[in-house]
Amino acid sequence: MASRRRMLLKVIILGDSGVGKTSLMNQYVNRKFSNQYKATIGADFLTKEVQFEDRIFTLQIWDTAGQERFQSLGVAFYRGADCCVLVYDVNVMKSFDHLNNWREEFLIQASPSDPENFPFVVLGNKVDVDGGNSRVVSEKKAKAWCASKGNIPYFETSAKEGFNVEAAFQCIAKNALKNEPEDEIYLPDTIDVGGGQQQRSSGCEC
Amino acid sequence: MQEPELHDLSDDADYAASQQQGSASMMRCDSGKRSSSSEPEGAEIVYLKDNVTIHPTQFASERISGRLKLIKQGSSLFMTWIPYKGQTTNARLSEKDRKLYTIRPVSFADVRSIRRHTPALGWQYMIVVLSSGLAFPPLYFYNGGVREFLATVKQHVFLVRSAEDANVFLVNDFENPLQRTLSSLELPRAVSIASVPSTPVSVRGSASRENEERTDVGVHDENSSTSRYNGRQRQKVHDPARDLSIHVLEKFSLVTKFARETTSQLFRETHSNGFDAFERRNTNQSVLDYNHKVDEDEEVPLKSPVAPDPLELERFQVLYQDHLMPTSTIVKQKAPYRKHNHDDEAATNVGTFELIDIKEFDKLSLVWGKPRQPPLGLEEWATFLDSEGRVVDSKALKKRIFYGGIEHKLRREVWAILLGYHTYESTYAEREYLRSIKKTEYETIKNQWQSISPEQAKRFTKFRERKGLIDKDVVRTDRSLSFYEGDDNPNVNLLRDILLTYSFYNFDLGYCQGMSDLLSPILFVMEEESESFWCFVALMERLGPNFNRDQNGMHTQLFALSKLVELLDIPLHNYFKQNDCLNYFFCFRWILIQFKRLGSWNYLFIHFPLCQHLFRVHVPIIM
Repeated sequence: MASRRRMLLKVIILGDSGVGKTSLMNQYVNRKFSNQYKATIGADFLTKEVQFEDRIFTLQIWDTAGQERFQSLGVAFYRGADCCVLVYDVNVMKSFDHLNNWREEFLIQASPSDPENFPFVVLGNKVDVDGGNSRVVSEKKAKAWCASKGNIPYFETSAKEGFNVEAAFQCIAKNALKNEPEDEIYLPDTIDVGGGQQQRSSGCEC
Repeated sequence: MQEPELHDLSDDADYAASQQQGSASMMRCDSGKRSSSSEPEGAEIVYLKDNVTIHPTQFASERISGRLKLIKQGSSLFMTWIPYKGQTTNARLSEKDRKLYTIRPVSFADVRSIRRHTPALGWQYMIVVLSSGLAFPPLYFYNGGVREFLATVKQHVFLVRSAEDANVFLVNDFENPLQRTLSSLELPRAVSIASVPSTPVSVRGSASRENEERTDVGVHDENSSTSRYNGRQRQKVHDPARDLSIHVLEKFSLVTKFARETTSQLFRETHSNGFDAFERRNTNQSVLDYNHKVDEDEEVPLKSPVAPDPLELERFQVLYQDHLMPTSTIVKQKAPYRKHNHDDEAATNVGTFELIDIKEFDKLSLVWGKPRQPPLGLEEWATFLDSEGRVVDSKALKKRIFYGGIEHKLRREVWAILLGYHTYESTYAEREYLRSIKKTEYETIKNQWQSISPEQAKRFTKFRERKGLIDKDVVRTDRSLSFYEGDDNPNVNLLRDILLTYSFYNFDLGYCQGMSDLLSPILFVMEEESESFWCFVALMERLGPNFNRDQNGMHTQLFALSKLVELLDIPLHNYFKQNDCLNYFFCFRWILIQFKRLGSWNYLFIHFPLCQHLFRVHVPIIM
C-alpha cells in the first residue's frame, strides 16, 4: 500500500468522559454505532478521505480520553491540529459547563499561531436520549455560548442514530481546511496488519 | 482535583516508603563507589548534587541513586545524571538497569521544561521534559537542591516560569521565533558529546536530511532506506565525538547481538480460554513479533570498535532468558530491507512484516524457544506446595506458569498468590484466616461510601464526580463478554462497588480510567467481591504509579522503553524520530492497562523487575 501525496487535516475531539466522542467518530468514519465502546485511554485516531471542491483530503480524527488525569498527554496529541471539536452531552449540564475549560486547555496546549481565529466546532450530542425529555442544556443556551466565543459553528447530534453527524463533520472538515490551506503534509504508511481495512487506520491499538 | 501540590499523591506513596527506607538508601549511596565519568575538554561543572535518585518502581529496594551535574561548555549547558556504581545491595537491579537510566549529557537546547515538586514534607523531585515530548523519570533530590538546580540553570539558559503553573519552568521559551532560531544555532557542532544518537547536534545537523527523507516516506524502496540509515550511522561512527562514548557503542553491539540471537527464537503462545478468546476477537490485527535476522549490511554500522565482553553478554542473556511475551497473534518482522513479494506480507518503510494466521500459530507455540507447556493443573500445583500449603519454590512456580499458564479452575487460588494478596509463604490456614479478616475490612470500607446519603452527596462533589466516572466506565468494560453482558448485570454492579470502594481505600489515587480494565478479569476469575477487591489492591500496589496525576510511573516506563528500542533497533528508533513519536505516547494504553485489550493476561500477574518486564513484553510488541 503505497501512500500518495495528499493533504492531511488533523482534527481533535475533546469533551468530558462519556459524552460520545468515540461514538461520534465511529459513526462518521464507519457509519456504525455500538453500545460496547470502551473508555478511551490516551488517544486513538481514525482517518477518512473527504472530497472538497475536486480535491481529496485525509481527515485524521483524534479521539481523546475525557478524564482530566490524561490531560498531560494533550500537548503531544493537540500539536498541529487544524480544527478542534468540542463535544458535550445535552443531558449533562456539567459537560456543557466544561466546554470552556476544554477550549482553553486546547489553546494553551496546542498554542496555535492565531488563537483568536482557530476553528472550533461545538457538538451537543445525545439529543436522542429519552426523546429529548431528559435534556438539560437548551439549544439556545448552547448557541449563545458559541456566539460569545467568536461564532463557533454549533450542531446538535446523535451518534447513536447518526443524526446530523455527517453535516457536522463536513463543517469540521471545511473549517480545518480553512485553517491551513497550503500546508502539505505526508501521511506515512501505516502497518496494515488487519488486511484490507482501507478506511480504518488505527492509531494506537494496532 | 484542586488539591494543592502538597497532596500530590505520587508523593504520598513515596513519603510513606521513605519513612522506612530513606535513611538506609542514603547511607548506601554515600558508601557506594562514585562514578568517575570523564568530563569533556573545556567543560566546567557548575552544579553537582549527590544522592539524586530515580524510582523505577515503587519498591524502595529498586531505587537508583546517582550524581546530577550541570556542565557548561562554551555557551551551552548540559545536564548529566550518572548512577553510582556498585550498588550491590539489591540483586534485582542489574548494572544494565542502571545504565539504562543514565542520563548522558543532554543539552538544555533540547529541554522543553522542568517541573519541580517541592512539597513541605518528603523529598523534592523534578521532571525534565525534552522538546521531543520525552520526559526523564522523576529525579528525587534526597538532600534537597531543586531550587539551587533551577537557579544554576537560570544563570546559563533562558528560563521562565510558566504562566499556567508556577511549578513549571520553560526552557528557551522565546516569544520571538527569530530568537529561538538564533539560540539553536549557537550550539556548536563540536560539543556533540551526548552518547545517545539523538544528540542535539545530530538532530540539528540532519534536520534538512530528515526533511528530504520525509518525502521518501511511503515510497518503499528498502534498498534506498538501507543506505540511508547506514549512511547516517556510519557518519556517527566516524564522528570523533563518538569516541567519548565508546562504551555506549559497546553496549549497542552487545545488546543488539543479544537481541538478534534471542528474539529470533521468540514466538508467541496463544490462549484458549474464553476470556482471552473474547479479547482476541477484538484485536485480531494484533501484535508484532520480531524475527530479526541480520543482514551483513545492517550489522556493520552497529558494530562497535570494542569487542563486547563475553562475560557481560552472558550475564545479560541469563537475566532475560527465562522470560517471554505471551500474546495472541503474531507478526514476524522479516529482515528489514529485503525485498519480499509474498502475499502474506505487509511491506512498510520500517521493514517487511510477515502476517501469521492465528490458526497456524498454534503450531508455532514456542515460548522463548521452548515448546509451550500445558497449563498448570491441580495435581502439578500440589507438587509446588508443602503439606501446609506454602509455596516451596516461588521462582520455579512463576517459571512454570510463565511457560504454560494455569488451568482456569485453578486460577482463583493461584492468582491470589501471584498478585501478592497472599504471600508465597502463607499456609492454607493463614490464607483462610486472612480471607475472613479481609472480608470484614472490605465491608467496613465499602460502608464508608454506601452510608453517604443523597443529601450528603449533594455537598460532596468529589464523591459524585468519582462515582459518575466509575458508573460510566463499568458499563463499557468488557460488556461483550458473557460474564458482563446484558442489562442490570450484577457483575457490572460488582465492578462498580469494588472500584468505588477502592477509591475510598486509596482516596489519594482515586479512580482513573483503565482501572476497570484491570479489575474486570480479576473479578471474572475470583468471582467473589472481597477477594477481587484485595487482589486488585495488590495489583495496584504495583501499577498505582502509572495512574498518578503527574504520571511519573508512565513517564519512567515510556522513557525506559524508548531507551530499549534505541538500543535494540536503531532503524525503528530513527523511524520514530522522523515521525516525531519519540515520546512513545502510542504505547500509553498498552502500558497503562498492561496490554489487556490486546488479550494477553497471565504474565501480568507475575511480577518481574521493570526493565525485564519492558523487555519481555513491550519492546517485542513494538518491534
